[in-house]
This record gives sequence, structure tokens and C-alpha cells, in this order.
Amino acid sequence: MIELKGLTKRFGNVTAVNDLSFTVREGEIFGLLGENGAGKTTTLRMLATMLKPTSGTARLAGIDIVESPEEVRGRVGILFGGESGLYDRLTVYENIQYFGELNDMPVREIKKRIQELADAFGMNDFLDKRAGKLSKGMRQKASFARAIVHNPDVLLLDEPTSGLDVGAMREVQAFLIDQKKAGKTILFSSHTMSEVEKLCDRIAVIHKGSLVDIGETEELLGKYGTQSLEELFVRLAGDGR
Amino acid sequence: MKWKHIMIVFKKEVKDIVRDRKTLFSSIIVPIFLMPILFLLVGRGTAKMSEEMTTNITVALTADSYSPAAQNFLKESLETQGEDITIVDPVDDPWEAINSKKAKLVVSLDRDFEDKLKALEPFTLKIYYDNSLSRSGGAVGALRSAITKLNGTIAEQRLEALGINPEILTPVVVETENVARSGDGNMMLMMLLPMIIAMLVAVGGIPAATDLVAGEKERMTFEPLLTTRPGRMSILIGKYLTIILFSFASVISTLIGMLLAFIINPSSITMGLGQIGGFTMDRGSVILCLIVTLLLGMTFSGLQLAISTYARSFKEGQTYLSMLMFVVMIPAYATMMIMPNDIQMYMYLIPVLNTVSAFKLVLGGMTNYTGLILAVATSLVYVVLSLLIAASMFKNEKYLFRS
Repeated sequence: MIELKGLTKRFGNVTAVNDLSFTVREGEIFGLLGENGAGKTTTLRMLATMLKPTSGTARLAGIDIVESPEEVRGRVGILFGGESGLYDRLTVYENIQYFGELNDMPVREIKKRIQELADAFGMNDFLDKRAGKLSKGMRQKASFARAIVHNPDVLLLDEPTSGLDVGAMREVQAFLIDQKKAGKTILFSSHTMSEVEKLCDRIAVIHKGSLVDIGETEELLGKYGTQSLEELFVRLAGDGR
Repeated sequence: MKWKHIMIVFKKEVKDIVRDRKTLFSSIIVPIFLMPILFLLVGRGTAKMSEEMTTNITVALTADSYSPAAQNFLKESLETQGEDITIVDPVDDPWEAINSKKAKLVVSLDRDFEDKLKALEPFTLKIYYDNSLSRSGGAVGALRSAITKLNGTIAEQRLEALGINPEILTPVVVETENVARSGDGNMMLMMLLPMIIAMLVAVGGIPAATDLVAGEKERMTFEPLLTTRPGRMSILIGKYLTIILFSFASVISTLIGMLLAFIINPSSITMGLGQIGGFTMDRGSVILCLIVTLLLGMTFSGLQLAISTYARSFKEGQTYLSMLMFVVMIPAYATMMIMPNDIQMYMYLIPVLNTVSAFKLVLGGMTNYTGLILAVATSLVYVVLSLLIAASMFKNEKYLFRS
């Protein structure tokens, strides 16, 4: 479960995130919608403890992000971008192993977990290949595996399908559904309305750092009398366009 | 901060850099091969230059002052003074003759030199040389020496003709004896080695530092790293240790390169200017000197890490870090000619200068514990300061997520 309580972030005079409070329930996929610069990435970075909130806080899996950031990081899996963040000169195995070690997993457990993930994602053929030599699809699978090597309770994903082709996008979506089935709580930001509609149990729309509304997709469509999520999004976060 | 996390980061970074051919090549492989080539080439060049200045010194008369008598006078009086001087055919234009290698030097004589010589009056011998050419400018000394000897010979003959003992001209007889315990090439080593070591220790970690934060930011591997369990200080120290390791790896590679040059040609290490040997080093000073060097490496590794953290991209990191090279080069070159006796106390307090001074002191076989202990103490302060700067950059969201 993720609970945001008055989460606020200011950079100088600019308020990037303003008093955000909502809850993401355990085992649900929650979509964070907003235009570029709405504060989605800043919110996710605060939840990942990369940025310190100016005020307010949040609890992930019951742990406070301000009081125990290291513990929070041990319980969260993060994927920022579709296939980014792999060390090209390390093999896929070494990339995943490194993150397992950093998350304090015992060596034997890391080995076992990598094998499980390799089987699950079909990575056995390229586990010992350097990440820099992989295709986009292979890199993406390796990124997923690395993000969840420590079996986190919560997944934070910032536009995980950004820049991906249709096939790769479907892989991400399948991954999210699998993770949901495994009981993970997933908070993700996206620009693709069809994707949000397909995957999310609930959504929150933020605009200029503030929460505009939150609820189930159907519920919000009915509330604002809009036919599609795109229409709803433009109405709530489109500056009257 | 946990040691376990520091070591995980350190091991991974070392593995990653060792696999990066570019960094490995510039930090380790290049110095091993470049140093022998550099020293051998410069050594050979210096030896050749020195040979050109002292051997086969060709001297021509100007056509204006030529006469068979003048030509004969020069041949008989200058070719016999123990210098390797040969009188060649007269030339019209001194500059053209020197530059076309017809002669290294050109001279003119007063046309009535024979009359003046007989009348016991002085006459003028004018030397034309080109100071922009070492073979010409450097040969003037040998010709002057021959003329001095000629003057002495003529003066002696004149005194003897007057029945006076020529020894009255030399009331003081000078004798010299070199009592140095070290080789005459040690001075050259005292100039070069401290400068090379201080510069390499200070800048050797730059390729690694650029890659470790600025490079990670560009490759987008930095944010995922920050979302793992270890605190930022553990990540920072892991990277810091990696930079230190590569700073010293580049120094060791350079020293191996210099050793190879020494094995191939011992005089190359002093750029052909004599042999090295006869070092007498104080063990305590050597230890303190190595500590100062280590601390200099640590100080600059911290600064490099801070600069790399500030940079948005690999290229920006390279630009900023190359400026750091100039900061190091200026004091290193400025003190190149200073000898151990000339080291001032303030020099032990300034980074780079302290390492240069400590090495000069040790290579010169001297001891100055006060200076060396001061250097260690102030270096410790610099290490702490540079680490604090790096840590404050690493904790500052403004710099960490600059894009």
C-alpha cells in the first residue's frame, strides 16, 4: 500500500508538487496522469526517496519515506523509462546481481532469483551477454528483472512504455498484469490513455502539482460526463483546451 | 554508510572500468608504452643536440675579411686549441651559411689584424651565430674557449719575449673537485620525477571520475542506482575509492614505463643529461613523502567526484575536469627547476607543491621532518575538505538531477 499525506516539493519559488494526498491500495495498479511538468516524475522520485519532500510524507508498505528511506528503497522496485539504466559493460546476469547485492540479498538467494526471473522472462539465452550488445526487447526484459530482483512489495514506474514500439509496449503491459497477479502494488505514470484504461484499477489526475481528482476510470467518466479517458484528461488537465 | 555497500559499489565500478577499453587504455596502457618512447626520443634528441654543440664545429671567414693570411691564421691558431674546430671556406652571407649548414659559425677579422698583432695591439674577431639554432648558438662557447686559449698562448709568448715569467698573469690557480655522492643525472631526475608524479596522482583519476557520475547520468544508470538500498555516502565512497585506485594505477603504469625506458637506455631517464645513481634516502622521509602523495591523490579524487557530480553529461564532465588539469600543471611546472635546498616552508602547505617538494627532498637525500609533517597534516585537511565538497554535491538534489 502507498499512502501520500500532504506530499509537497518546492524547487526555489516553484511548487512542483503541492499537498498531494491519496492512497494506492495493496495489489492494485494505479495510474498517475498529468501533462509534462505536472509533477508526476517528482512525485515518483519522492516516493522512491531520491528527492526529499519539502513537507508532508508518504508511507510505502507501511514505512515512512522521510524517516526510513533506506528501508523504503529495499521494498520498492523502480523502472524509470522503458529500457534504461542497464550497465552496458556488465552482462545481464551481473546487472541483476548488482542490484540484488545492493538490496542486501544473500548470494545464494540472488542466484536462485536470477534463474527464476530468467525462466519467467525467457532470458536464459542472453543472461551472460553484455547489456550493451542486446536488442531493445532484451534490454527491456533485463530492466524488468533487475527492478524486481529483490521481490519488492511496491513498483514505481515512470512512463515505462515511453518511446517503445507496440510489441515492446505489450510486453510492459503483460509484465504489469503479472506483477499485479503476484500481489504487488503498482503506481505508474503514463501518457498513453488506452494503456491506462486497459491496466489501471484507479487513476489520479494531477495538474500543476496538485491533485485534480481521483477514482475508478468509469466513475470519473460518469462524474464529468465524458466519453473517453482522453476527453476526461483534457478536461481536467488540459488548461481549457 | 555501510562498508559492505561501499565494497559492492567499488567492486562493480572496478569491473566496469576494467571492461571499458577507452578508460583502461588512457589510464594504464598508454603510460606504459608512451613513457619509454617519450624518454628515449627526448633523451636521444638531447644527446644529439649536445653532440652538435661540441663536435665538428665548422667556422668560416666572411668573404669581406678573407685573405689567405687570415684563413691561415685561423687554421693555425684555432684548430690547435683542443676544441673540435675546423676552418672551412669563406662565405658571403653569415645567416645563409649557418642555415644551409656550410658552417656552424662565421667570423670576421680586422683587415689589418696582422699589423696589429705585430704592433702588440688588440684586433677584433667578430663571431656571427644564429641563436635560434642550437648547433650554432651552442657552438659559440667552444669557439670562445679556443680564443681564450689563443689569447693566453699569445700573451705568454709576448711576456717570454720580454723576459717575464707568464705565471705572473695567474696569481690564483683554481682547482675543482665534484664531491657529489649522487650521479650527475640526479638533478634532472629531481626536476622531472616529482612533477610527473604529482601531476599524474592529481589527474590520473579523471577518466574514471568522468565515467563514474557524469557518465552514469548520461547513460541513465545513475537514478536506478540511487533507488537501491545503500545510502548516498556508501555509493559516494565506493566511487571515490575507485577513482583513487585508478589515479594510482596510472602513476604505477607511468613508473613502469619510465623503468622500461631506464632498462632500454639508462641515460634516457635523465633526458640524456647524465647518469643517475648514488641515492641516499632517509626511510622516514620516504614514508612521509608517500603519505603526502597518497593524500594528494585522495584530495583530487574528491574534487574530481564533485565536479563529475556537478556535470550534466559525460562531455560536460570532461570539459570541467580538463580545467582541473591546468590547476595542477601550473604549480607543477612552476616548481620544476627548484632544487631541494630552495624549498620554502610554505610550499609544504599547498597541494601539488607539497608532493613536488617532498619528492625533491627525498631524491636530494635531504630530510626536513617539520616540512613533511606539516605537509601530511595540511593534506589531511584538504582530503576532508574535498570529500565534504563531494558529499555535499552528492546529497544536493539540485546537482544530482541536473539535466
